[in-house]
Amino acid sequence: MMVRSFPFSVSRRAVLVGGLAAVATPLLARGGLTIMAAASLKPALDEIAANWEAPVAISYGGSGTIARQAAAGAPADIVILAATDWMDWLVAQGAVEAPSVRAVAGNRLVLAGPLDARPLALNASDIAARLGANGRFAMGDPMSVPAGRYGQQALETLGLWSSLGSRVILAENVRAALAYIVRGDVELGLVYRSDTRGTGAAIVADIPAESHAPITYPAALLPGATDGAAVFLAQIATATDIFARHGFGQ
Amino acid sequence: MIALPPEAWEALALSLRVSLVATLVSLPLAIWVAHLLARGRFRGKGLLDALVHLPLILPPVVTGYALLLVFSRSGPLGGLLEPLGLGVAFRWTGAALAAGIMAFPLMVRAIRLAIETVDPKLEEAAITLGKSPWQVWMGITLPLAAPGLLAGVTLGFAKAFGEFGATITFVASIPGETRTLPSAIYAFLQVPGAEPALRGLVLIAVIVAVAAVLLSNWVAPRIAARIAGR
Repeated sequence: MMVRSFPFSVSRRAVLVGGLAAVATPLLARGGLTIMAAASLKPALDEIAANWEAPVAISYGGSGTIARQAAAGAPADIVILAATDWMDWLVAQGAVEAPSVRAVAGNRLVLAGPLDARPLALNASDIAARLGANGRFAMGDPMSVPAGRYGQQALETLGLWSSLGSRVILAENVRAALAYIVRGDVELGLVYRSDTRGTGAAIVADIPAESHAPITYPAALLPGATDGAAVFLAQIATATDIFARHGFGQ
Repeated sequence: MIALPPEAWEALALSLRVSLVATLVSLPLAIWVAHLLARGRFRGKGLLDALVHLPLILPPVVTGYALLLVFSRSGPLGGLLEPLGLGVAFRWTGAALAAGIMAFPLMVRAIRLAIETVDPKLEEAAITLGKSPWQVWMGITLPLAAPGLLAGVTLGFAKAFGEFGATITFVASIPGETRTLPSAIYAFLQVPGAEPALRGLVLIAVIVAVAAVLLSNWVAPRIAARIAGR
């Protein structure tokens, strides 16, 4: 269970350095399941796992990190990612049971600010006014973070990307962007709606879902997964009420 | 297959600038602190020693987080510096600050050892011959400690060049501004199918590391030879 209790940012590094060893340990628990999941799923997945009959150890991290570990033969039963491109990559590598791939949840992007931030209209002048002379805008790095990729797509569709320019701070993951917002290091930022639940960030505007590719969380069984893993995967896919309570869903 | 995308050169240039600035700016301070620890007798020396070693012992993310707390807009120093346009958070200067702090203990350790190997009797003899402490330091201590000092600089540069945890926590990963070579490698690791670029970046990192050591090994005996009077 030590894997689950890592603080988020530490776990990203820990996973990178000694991830395989850390994931391997919970496997020794009899009848238990080991899951590798995208970090943004943590609140909902922890709740689903707590309701499961057997112990479930979950290693959270960035989708890219997890996908590479799964492809390297990490001893886990289920992998859940925040981006379809990484799941496509895993399927192409033959690293997951292709027929088992299914979307288990969705999400939405929101423009968020610190807790006292007021709602904002999604246009360049209102955003510029909110940022002021020195304000900055945080989001995940579009190159490496799924939320950043969806975010850049949405900002381009909405005609806001070019006006943000040098104001943008690109974070290594969406939760780091959230942390910058919550602490007031930046005026505004793009995060998942689920990220704003109970974290001290306020939604100032909803990003239209049609402005970017749909956000889905694909899951799959890894080779050698137990029968219990398939049942648990089905359980995750049908836990729409839990996901909805934590801000997931289209 | 190895690819070298434009981002690789951008990250290399930034990393060289960040680690050179970090090493050169912190060097005088490192020499001073090393001298204090090697030769000084004062209360709180143990505490100073512990403080100097802190970045070496703490997890790098902790150092990065502490820097963020102090230097971000909402922090005590950041609140003063940002309005003046001197802020370092999320800027390359912040990356250099983080790299310098992480490299500092290694530089101090190497330089301190080098100063401690200098025989104090030589310094005392020079003083009895009427030299000022500054002349003794420049004429006796510094030249004799030079090889160890160079080792400290090499070690500090290598640490600064490879710094990742504190940097990405403090200044994020903005291309051309704060995305150093290690941050770029981490970013490419998160892109499906980016292996050729990833290998290119890793190759650059290895070449720089080997070059730094070779350069240091080439310079050190020449310095030693000059001290010995050729």
